[in-house]
Amino acid sequence: MSEAKDKILVVDDEPQIGKVLRRGLQARGFDVRVAPDGESALDIFTIWQPDLVISDLAMPNLDGLGLCSRIRKASRVPIIVLSVKGEESTKVEALDSGADDYVIKPFGMDELLARVRALLRRSANTAQEPEARMEAGDFQIDPKTRAVLVRGSEVRLTPKEYDLLLFFLSRHSTVLTHKTILQTVWGANSINQHEYLRVFVGQLRKKIEADPAAPRYLRTEPWIGYRFEPGL
Amino acid sequence: MSKRAAGYIYASLLVSGTVASLLAFRSHANLTTVALAMVLVTMFCALLWRSGPALWASVAQVLCLNYFFIPPYRTFTIADPANWIAFSAFVITAIVVGQLSARAELRAEQAENRRLEIESLYDELKKATDEAEEAELLRRSEALKSALLDAVTHDLRTPLTSIKASVTTLLSETDDASLRELLEVINEESDRLNHFIQGMMDLARLESGNLRLTQSTTAIADIVESALLRAEVALSKHKVEVSLQEGLPNLNLDSHAISEVLYSLLENAAKYSPPGTFIRVTASLNGTSIKFEVEDQGPGIPSALHQKVFEKFFRAHGSSHARPGFGLGLSIAKGIVEAHSGSIWIEQGKDSTGTRIIFSLPVQSPPQYE
Repeated sequence: MSEAKDKILVVDDEPQIGKVLRRGLQARGFDVRVAPDGESALDIFTIWQPDLVISDLAMPNLDGLGLCSRIRKASRVPIIVLSVKGEESTKVEALDSGADDYVIKPFGMDELLARVRALLRRSANTAQEPEARMEAGDFQIDPKTRAVLVRGSEVRLTPKEYDLLLFFLSRHSTVLTHKTILQTVWGANSINQHEYLRVFVGQLRKKIEADPAAPRYLRTEPWIGYRFEPGL
Repeated sequence: MSKRAAGYIYASLLVSGTVASLLAFRSHANLTTVALAMVLVTMFCALLWRSGPALWASVAQVLCLNYFFIPPYRTFTIADPANWIAFSAFVITAIVVGQLSARAELRAEQAENRRLEIESLYDELKKATDEAEEAELLRRSEALKSALLDAVTHDLRTPLTSIKASVTTLLSETDDASLRELLEVINEESDRLNHFIQGMMDLARLESGNLRLTQSTTAIADIVESALLRAEVALSKHKVEVSLQEGLPNLNLDSHAISEVLYSLLENAAKYSPPGTFIRVTASLNGTSIKFEVEDQGPGIPSALHQKVFEKFFRAHGSSHARPGFGLGLSIAKGIVEAHSGSIWIEQGKDSTGTRIIFSLPVQSPPQYE
């Protein structure tokens, strides 16, 4: 019963926001520490080894982007960035620096908690060995036979569609930029072929979504990329 | 009278004057004095009127010298060999002096021309530098405005973030109905304030020409999809019909801003039409422009107000319906569409009820924010 609490490191230079997040996350059973800037966050990160990091982008000294890339050098821990700026370029920059998701300030606590839970679930999943069957929500993939089950029934995919779905599933609940997806699935030469990606996402949606016009699993993040939610 | 002809005439006058005076004072002047005076005249002609008149003056004076001053007088013959030498010396001196001084004058003129040329080049350079400086100043003031807007956004949203996170935490922890009611008020009002801040910022950016351009080639489907996604919650109680014409060309535009326009039209449609009714979104090619339409089945807007609704802080629907809104959405939309050389207008819905808002964008039009 006494399962260890998940540890969350909150990094924000605004003391009030730190206070509120600490209180809100603790109430949901998380162990929380708050750092006022990137430098001290790195110190706490090294010693405390949190399960997830929530970081503001604009901070004195080491900012959120810098913190993301420093953490990414050492760890696969999920990172959520917070920002008052809703601009695509900022989001893409943060995601390409290693963040898994972003939340725009101001946000409701429920939204933040949902993102936190989804990312923690995924990092628990990826601890499995790579050749094992992958299961998340409504999806099951057996990498040995390349068999794909959606809601229990088999779906036939072309090799590229399979690669794409496998990548989405392995990084589910994370916002993946167009660049990241194209680079991983098609290779570094294809990072500008957004149109290409759109066609394949369209095909994949036709095969896995109940209503391809209103996708539930493979969600668009406008101008940024896609987020795969396998359902529960 | 041309300047050149004038030179010859003045030279002739000077020569005749000089010869007349020399004739008058003949008793006091020997041949050397006369020749020197004539050389001087040639030099003056060269300095004042250049080589042509100088040459003319020397020839005229040679003839006069021979005719009037070298014996035998009043003939063109020269008897004494010594006078031949003097005469030749005069001829050569007069011609050389004339040519030299004319050449010096020409050089001086060329130097003056070069000076003028350099001056005008310098002026041009200075003008270019001034313009560059002005552009740099403008760029800096734009950067300053942009930084100021960012700072204001940050400072307004940071306290809102604490309020919103606090109130939503409290909401998730209490079942007390009367407490929840008040917490909901705080929650909704902070959303409203946030929305208002966004509107003000958009408008400020638009008016200061600071709306960020992320101009790129964009598929119309992406614009519509992103607007629909953003409006998902607002549209949840309506039946949304989307129809995009096949094979629409991509547009080169500020995709985020245009998607924002569509989003605010969708949000308005949802706000002002009863739940359960249709909201239709269409995009079609119309000649050389793309036409976007959002149509609802609400009460419609009286045609007298079709222009007014695009004014800042104007709201068509009476205050008896206490509906949320700031009256900024449509004026921002108009600003964005016009910055893309497009236009936006309102028509009566197809069944003569409801509102149909249409905006059209030229197929090739990079945005020009003022």
